[in-house]
Amino acid sequence: MRKLTNGLVTVGEAAVLAGQIVRVLPRPRLYMNAALQQAYLMGIQSLPLVLVMAFLGGAVTSQQTGAQFAGGLPLWVIGSVLAASVITELGPVLTGIVMMARVGAAIAAELASMKVTEQIDALVAMGRDPVAFLVVPRVVGGLIAFPPLVILANAMGIVAGYTIALLVVDGMTSADLVYGMRFYFRTWALIFSVLKGAVFGFAITFIACFVGLSGTGGAEGVGRTTTKAVVATTITLMVLDVLLVPVLKAF
Amino acid sequence: MIEFRNLHKSFDDLAVLRGVDLFVEEGETLALLGPSGTGKSVLIKHAMGLLEPDQGDVIVDGISIAQATPKELRSVRRRIGYVFQNAALFDSLSVAENLWLAQTDEKEGRPMPSCRAEGEELLRRVNLDASVMDKYPSELSGGMRKRVGVARAIAHQPRYLLWDEPTTGLDPVNADNIDELIMELDRQLGVTSIVVTHDLDTAFEVGDRIALLYEGRVRAVQTPDEILRNEDPIVSRFVRRSRVGDGTAA
Repeated sequence: MRKLTNGLVTVGEAAVLAGQIVRVLPRPRLYMNAALQQAYLMGIQSLPLVLVMAFLGGAVTSQQTGAQFAGGLPLWVIGSVLAASVITELGPVLTGIVMMARVGAAIAAELASMKVTEQIDALVAMGRDPVAFLVVPRVVGGLIAFPPLVILANAMGIVAGYTIALLVVDGMTSADLVYGMRFYFRTWALIFSVLKGAVFGFAITFIACFVGLSGTGGAEGVGRTTTKAVVATTITLMVLDVLLVPVLKAF
Repeated sequence: MIEFRNLHKSFDDLAVLRGVDLFVEEGETLALLGPSGTGKSVLIKHAMGLLEPDQGDVIVDGISIAQATPKELRSVRRRIGYVFQNAALFDSLSVAENLWLAQTDEKEGRPMPSCRAEGEELLRRVNLDASVMDKYPSELSGGMRKRVGVARAIAHQPRYLLWDEPTTGLDPVNADNIDELIMELDRQLGVTSIVVTHDLDTAFEVGDRIALLYEGRVRAVQTPDEILRNEDPIVSRFVRRSRVGDGTAA
């Protein structure tokens, strides 16, 4: 019973934080500079890792598809599977995982550390709104940074998958791959991919801020809070991934 | 005037404050003494609305903190300067940026360069050199960080100053310097102060009155001389402990 009550309280607190964010959004003067700075830091610092992950994801997809389908299906199918997997799944999800590990954990640790060292109290004591000062810039920064990262991850995944397929799949030609990709490609899939990136961007930064602000205790508490944020964002990411499938099918 | 009325506060099952009644008169410095963990810091955080009481209220200049609107709460917070125990400076910001956050608010939005001269003056008031302005908190000593914390607390010219364990973690010389700073600022700014401490020397040095918080309630509020003569065994055991040795005990 107590766990259920605590769970409901957490959901309520998250809803309150979301409401506070929405209230600040119409006043970009309060957060836009900081949000752009956050977006720059999140984007630039995460880009190399996002690209490496996307490269590996694309390379694995084309190799495995080649190994499983070669001989049974026309080779151009590999191009279709590669484009579909990278654009609708691997690009956004791998970017989300990288961002969760790099950005989400960092946000949670930073805010929890600020909480336990009374820096959040100090902000309030100075009449500043911690949501406008700390949370909104990070959430808006995430919303700005994630979609371009997903686009770049998609591009890298497809280029890597294309190159590896040509190198390792017997009989594969560039024309087959291009035909397969064009056969699959729909503009909506690309929009869906970017949209998914934005949803993940919001979810990761929001959850990291929410969990970070609830940090208690000393150094151990900061560690606990960071772990909690990573676990919560991992589960949320995968649940959102499932919930968003009907959106892809809808158009 | 700040008045605490029947204040109760618990954290989970732990009752920290169990009905605190206390008032601080205009212009005085009240030293709030008590053993560690008795809720001294918790008590003063209620005066700024940093914590919400389970029961009771705090009245600041006639405004009930429990019932204050966000606007009233902002106005109360602009009247109070809070010196945090470990300074609570923002690690990622320079001293100048830390001060700037307190010098202006979201509504006023003064740009940082226009606050710089004023910031240097604030540092001079707490006996720090202007060269500290561009340093980060991690580059400062504990005593310097405390002083920057004080400068930040007085940046918006408050009527009240709340000091949370100002000498904790400092060596005796730096602790004496902070005691002097508290008295100097009281004189210069004419503020009303509450100094939370478990350091008897600080309490007797700076306090016009001394309050002893014990087991979540105020056990005694008296002038330093009176509290030394208090015969309540708990009060007497607490306040005489280090005063007998230096000959100031009654």
